[in-house]
Amino acid sequence: MDLNSGLILQMRGIVKDFPGTRALDSVDFDVRAGEVHGLIGENGAGKSTLMNVLAGRLGEYKGRIVFNGRRVTIKTPHQARDMGIAVIYQELRVLRNLTIAENIMLGEERAMPWTRRIDRSYIRQEASRVLEHLGFDLDPERKVEGLSTARQCLVEIAAAVRRKARLFVFDEPTASLGSEDVDRLFEVISELKSKGLGVVYISHRLAELPRVADRVTVLRDGRKVGTKDVAQCPIPEMSRMMLGHTLSEIFPEKTNKPGRCILKVDGLTRPGKFSDISFELREGEVLGIAGLVGSGRTEIGRAIFGADKARGLVELGGKAFFSRLPNKCCSRGVGMVQENRKTESNITGRTMAENLNISILERLAGRLGFQSPRRLNDRARRMIELMKIDPPRPKRQIQKLSGGNQQKVVVGRWLAAEPKVLIFDEPTQGIDIGTKAQMYRLIVKLASEGCGIILISSELIEVAKLSDRILIVRNGRLVGEMPGPIDDVDMLFEQCVAKRKLNG
Amino acid sequence: MDKRIEKSPVRKQSFLSFQILQKATVLFLLVGLGLFASLRSPTFFTWANLVDNLLTNAAVLGIVAIGMTFVMVAGGFDLSVGSMTVVCMVVLVIAMDFLSPYGAIVAIGGAILLTALVGTALGAINGMLVSYVGVNPFVVTLSTMLVFRGLALILTGGGQSIQVADLALRDRFTELVFDKQFPIFGLQHQVSMPIVIFLIVFCVGIYLLKFTRFGHYLYAMGGNEEATWLAGVSTHRLKAATYAVCGLTCAFAAAIILANTTSAEASSRMGMELEVIASVIVGGTPLGGGSGGLVSTLIGLMLLRLIVNLMTQFEIGAEYRPVVTGLIIMVVVIIDVLAKKRSQK
Repeated sequence: MDLNSGLILQMRGIVKDFPGTRALDSVDFDVRAGEVHGLIGENGAGKSTLMNVLAGRLGEYKGRIVFNGRRVTIKTPHQARDMGIAVIYQELRVLRNLTIAENIMLGEERAMPWTRRIDRSYIRQEASRVLEHLGFDLDPERKVEGLSTARQCLVEIAAAVRRKARLFVFDEPTASLGSEDVDRLFEVISELKSKGLGVVYISHRLAELPRVADRVTVLRDGRKVGTKDVAQCPIPEMSRMMLGHTLSEIFPEKTNKPGRCILKVDGLTRPGKFSDISFELREGEVLGIAGLVGSGRTEIGRAIFGADKARGLVELGGKAFFSRLPNKCCSRGVGMVQENRKTESNITGRTMAENLNISILERLAGRLGFQSPRRLNDRARRMIELMKIDPPRPKRQIQKLSGGNQQKVVVGRWLAAEPKVLIFDEPTQGIDIGTKAQMYRLIVKLASEGCGIILISSELIEVAKLSDRILIVRNGRLVGEMPGPIDDVDMLFEQCVAKRKLNG
Repeated sequence: MDKRIEKSPVRKQSFLSFQILQKATVLFLLVGLGLFASLRSPTFFTWANLVDNLLTNAAVLGIVAIGMTFVMVAGGFDLSVGSMTVVCMVVLVIAMDFLSPYGAIVAIGGAILLTALVGTALGAINGMLVSYVGVNPFVVTLSTMLVFRGLALILTGGGQSIQVADLALRDRFTELVFDKQFPIFGLQHQVSMPIVIFLIVFCVGIYLLKFTRFGHYLYAMGGNEEATWLAGVSTHRLKAATYAVCGLTCAFAAAIILANTTSAEASSRMGMELEVIASVIVGGTPLGGGSGGLVSTLIGLMLLRLIVNLMTQFEIGAEYRPVVTGLIIMVVVIIDVLAKKRSQK
């Protein structure tokens, strides 16, 4: 253990700019030896950016980092790794086609003298030694393929311990774990702690922090709000620090009135993803779909929109809608704001105007298919004004906007198409709080103008506060329905997980 | 948000200038080489060299490069253009032979129409395999490159050079499609038929790519195909269409080549696809698509052809040509990659 200060890591005044935004604004952060330091904040608050700076994934940054008592600059992931920083990402970095031992020893293999053949027994021995040392019950000869996520996580931890990592960063490790696995992970973390190593624990499940962390640092909009001892910081206090204001300020008053049925889904089934989903959506209604990651909520939305094939009947305005495809949905007035902005929404390298107009070009075409550049520009400008996109430059490439503005472009694209049904999948992922509030107002406004809205979100509070009705999806099945809006988010969460505990 | 942007003006500025540099490099090279050549060689800056020689030679590749630009803007590419061109030449000869009893105009018109259909159909085969079946364009067009080449071999009875049997028809065809001159800039400065065809195809291409929905969608697909599909665009059909357009341009090119050489040979035009793809890339349409366009392609093509022309002018051996061409491609692409790296940071 470090004798001089007890601090493993000290980050001072870290600044990181992305095109169009300042992602981190002079953030201080430190980790003591033998401490678990929670790092919390909303999506887009800068938690991942801060840890990516530490992991050397972002290259240039401003500020000072002291690691193990030495001033360091970290510009590549290699440097970070060699120094002893281990980041365990949510999407694990294990090679599934190799054995556990090979994964643990990757990059540290030895060759036999003379023949230069790879020394397999060394790999096996070293790996078993590490696994034993950590008390992990894993067979080093087994292939990683087929291991549960939790066990794969253990493999990564073992590899990091073997390289003598001093600092472990866990990036939302429990997001895809069952509750038993979470318990096991917390045991492992406290073991690391007892060995005098430092742990950073990123999460937005606040309830976990008192169980696992010693101190907690809250980030908001790229700035540090504060660092507190967990023992002296109750969960509501954390929540207030994270959001910056109380919830009633960001959720608008509900002014929409549900009317006639516009969309009817009957027995929608996609084998392996969801089965027998039936519900109705009314004009001017916000219908929330609540469920955990992997429950099938996104897939249901995609199936209605025709992005995935599914069996079952969908009726739009009283008429059966067969052979749905995104282009057909688009011309019949059904739109969907996709979950992954980068891969499914942004048309990278093209301008904001093009991104805004893509779904309505058909309507704008003149004779001989002529697209008047001026008209396109006018349409884009009008939408930019309506959505308050900033900076209001239609010629700017989409990827250079901040996440919130990108999302506005995507939503604006569908607004321009004047949809009768609009499906929102994670509409506020990775956007700042101001834009979130704007999104919420927009959803309510759209509904009060008569648009039927399906709202899918892992931010349960959104679903709870905005919906007129909430459907609960668990393991691909519709298991409940409740009227909204509701205030008790914890109860909604319980509904979403209820059965999972039994499945382990 | 505005305040945040103003905090980092330095990065933005340097990146901007770098991007302009990248776009300007090719144009700069083109103008620079042209100036250099006109100072050093008295015969360079003449109508005979620039228009009759350089442009007419470039017309064939240029037309195919237009089709290739459509494919590449949408993110694909086509290795089979050389083979498609040869098949079209063979079809043209056979069709003219077949139609020759009906008079020259019918024979030529009919044959060109049929060839255009065949070219489009061959391209459409590529397109459907790529878009509906979902095979990688490299693999699809690599295999059709062989298949189409083989088709030409079979049609010519094992690769003999074939010609239109009727000598009068053959001459008429050459006269109409290759030798015909238009005194657009006076009798001293005539413009040949291949250039006119190229210009027409070029203008139609610009219209389609820049001013219609089709073109807008192609750029969008090059940017992010998945997102474009999810925005309600029938991307499969459009993608198939780009390959059909490419096949069609091969048919036009085939007509000009046949009019020039009068004979069709199944083993000719090998390596043409690479020259065409090189022009498109040097011009600035990246592999993967999403940006660039026909003006870029024209500039890229001109640069590559100008180098060939200059090497002839200065009597540099043809053996140096591939090296120089290869180096030009490499330099342009390296600058492009550097610019991208800069912009990603």
